[in-house]
Amino acid sequence: MSEGIHFIGPLILAAFLFCVGIYGIIARRNAVLVLMSVELMLNAVNINLVAFNNLRFADSPTVDGQIFALFIIAIAAAEVGVGLAIVLNMFRNRASVNVDDVDLMRW
Amino acid sequence: MEQLLDYAWLVALLPLAAAAIISAFGKLMPLKGSEVGIVAVFIAWLISIGITWHTFSNPGVVLERAFDWSPLGGGLTLELGMLVDGLTAMMFLLVTTVSLMVQLYSREYMHGEERFTYFFAMLSLFTFSMLLLVIANNTLQAIVGWELVGLCSFLLIGFYWHDKPNQDAANKAFMVTKFADVGLVVGVIILSAGVAATGIEKPFNIGTTMELSMNGTLSNGTIAFGALMIFLGAVGKSGQMPLHVWLPDAMAGPTPVSALIHAATMVTAGVFLVARLYPVYIQVAAVMHTVAIVGVITLFFAGFLALVQDDIKKVLAYSTVSQLGYMMAALGVGGYTAGIFHLFTHGFFKALLFLGSGSLIHAVHSNNMSEMGGMRKFMPITFVTFIIGSLALAGFPLTAGFFSKDEVLVAGELWAANGFVTGNLVLWLGLAGAFVTTFYMARSCFLIFWGEHRGAHHAHAEEHDVVPHGDDAHDEHHTDEHVTVGHHATPHESGWQITVPLVVLAAGALLVGLPGSFLWPADANNFESWTATHALEEASYPFISAPEDDHPASEAVGGAGVLAAPALAAEPGEHGDGGVHVLHGPPGFEPLLAGIAFAVFLAAAGLAWSIYGKGQPDDDPMFRMGPVTKALVAKYGLDTFGYRYIVVPVRDKLSPAASWSSNVVIDGIVRSAGGAAKRLADATYGTLDQKIIDGGVNGAAFSAAWWSDKLKRIQSGDVQRYAGALVAGVIVLVLVFAGAR
Repeated sequence: MSEGIHFIGPLILAAFLFCVGIYGIIARRNAVLVLMSVELMLNAVNINLVAFNNLRFADSPTVDGQIFALFIIAIAAAEVGVGLAIVLNMFRNRASVNVDDVDLMRW
Repeated sequence: MEQLLDYAWLVALLPLAAAAIISAFGKLMPLKGSEVGIVAVFIAWLISIGITWHTFSNPGVVLERAFDWSPLGGGLTLELGMLVDGLTAMMFLLVTTVSLMVQLYSREYMHGEERFTYFFAMLSLFTFSMLLLVIANNTLQAIVGWELVGLCSFLLIGFYWHDKPNQDAANKAFMVTKFADVGLVVGVIILSAGVAATGIEKPFNIGTTMELSMNGTLSNGTIAFGALMIFLGAVGKSGQMPLHVWLPDAMAGPTPVSALIHAATMVTAGVFLVARLYPVYIQVAAVMHTVAIVGVITLFFAGFLALVQDDIKKVLAYSTVSQLGYMMAALGVGGYTAGIFHLFTHGFFKALLFLGSGSLIHAVHSNNMSEMGGMRKFMPITFVTFIIGSLALAGFPLTAGFFSKDEVLVAGELWAANGFVTGNLVLWLGLAGAFVTTFYMARSCFLIFWGEHRGAHHAHAEEHDVVPHGDDAHDEHHTDEHVTVGHHATPHESGWQITVPLVVLAAGALLVGLPGSFLWPADANNFESWTATHALEEASYPFISAPEDDHPASEAVGGAGVLAAPALAAEPGEHGDGGVHVLHGPPGFEPLLAGIAFAVFLAAAGLAWSIYGKGQPDDDPMFRMGPVTKALVAKYGLDTFGYRYIVVPVRDKLSPAASWSSNVVIDGIVRSAGGAAKRLADATYGTLDQKIIDGGVNGAAFSAAWWSDKLKRIQSGDVQRYAGALVAGVIVLVLVFAGAR
């Protein structure tokens, strides 16, 4: 297994995806894009989990990392569902999905 | 009857309740409050008779009840209580009887008076005060009663306050007795301090004080100083020379007041207190001699002043002073029983004489004997009773005054056998005083009841040169109001409310002397066994050295003198040191002394008859005695002296000085202290309170507001800024953990 693919590749990919996600969260104004950035970050973590599982348990049948990745995918689906529902309501009330416009929870 | 003693406090409190009720509701009552006072004192009188019966038939019975009353706490216990023994019972009987008679009498005498209700309230209050003093089992309570007596006296002397002389008389009485009361208070403090020094918690208790004096715990110095100071109070209250000056002026009060306060009861307070503390007094020779000498001076010199008086009440006032002198003198020569026996009988006949004089004044609208005359035809009852009172006062044989005065003289005669000259003084000056007493009373009686009636036609005559103060005006003033308009045809007898008290008191003046006389059964309880207190039975005269052994004790106790009969009450050897010559029990019938007394009486009465029997002579020999008359009219100059050297300096020097020191010095200190305190407070307020404390509190609040205004902007509501902060935080944490590794 260890001969197939070097683990640095997935880790770099995950780091890249994570950074893209952070950038999206901080920089984008569109709420849908922010949600998508969150998904990017989650998937970066999933890649990390799988990669490190293979790195750590290369010669054993342990698949803890993969199982965690599956949990995260499931929860992320639920999270996106809730998130999109919020965005939808926001759009209905304000005719906008700009996160800058929803600052009612301030001083 | 035994249980009745437990209710002795009722005797004192009933008049107090009456005074309160009369003050509150008197004006609404049908008899204007007088019925309350009379009923209250009547019940008190009945109880007093019961107590008298019990104490008389059970010699030596004594009951002390007290409850502790110490508002200040600490080791000092103050008491409020009663001490009931024969002496208390005797005073109870005297005070309630006279008070009852006077109140009944006042119903008519004060009729129509504007302040009738007030008068009765004050009479009741006075009765209460005197009884509070009499019943006291501790000297502190006695002082309270004593001062209340003084207050009531002041209020009643000034009853006709709209006349300036009456106000002056009230002030004079109050000031003089208050001066003496300083002595009383000092004396009580000294004695109680001596008792307290032994660790006893109730230093004011009279029984304890007497006990400690007798067993020698208190030093002679303490006893002497304390007793003399208390005696000073008694000198003032009981009108002894030279502090008697208030008593004649006190006749400015209504006549019933004179009878109640200035003859029968209040002025006896001093004698009573000395008698109450008698075991203390007999410890030191100097004290006894002082008491005796003051008494002798008073009895001898006060009588002469009555010779030149025209105002009947002034005659009686000076005779009161003189008789009080007899009482004090008797106490000063070991004649405890003689002194209080004279107090007892004198209370009856002097009240009778005052009430009789009031009846006369009521009829002729004048105090002056020069406006009376021939009154026996108009006022038979007053005449007979007044003569009885005069005979008793003059010591006519077989009247009450005869027995008591006799006993005083015998006491003096016995005392002389101890080797003290005061005993002789009491005997011989007492006899001389009896002559003077008889003479002025006979003069008064002849001037009033014999001769032709001189009043009314030339009323307001020119006799005023005799009486320095025109204080007869008030009695006319108030009696005129209810007499048929200004028509003074002939005087007439007074109504029953005046004559009944006169008759009752006349009976008293004849009979109350019997228990202390030789007519009393020898084996029965007599006046001495009644009034001798428990402490007195054990008291001795430590300053009298015991005589040689062959001296028979029985003779020493009772009958050492030429004139005195063997004592009836004393048993041989009853006194431990058996050699003391003191009168014990009623003296037996002694023809020599009775003869001398009767001869003195006849001589004085005959002399008076020869001068005044035909009515008032044109030139009264009393006023033709040159310097003597001058001295007597000037009252020995005591009033002038007092005015010039005490009143004026006090008024012109001491009062302004005191006023200056009060207004300038003390007020200045107070004011500057106040100003300094205010400035300090202002400074404290300005800096400490306003700047530091308020500044701290306000500063804390303002800085909180400032910071919160700044910090609240972090809570921007911008989700992406939160996210950025989150990321930055994570990066920092990662770096920290990495660095820590």
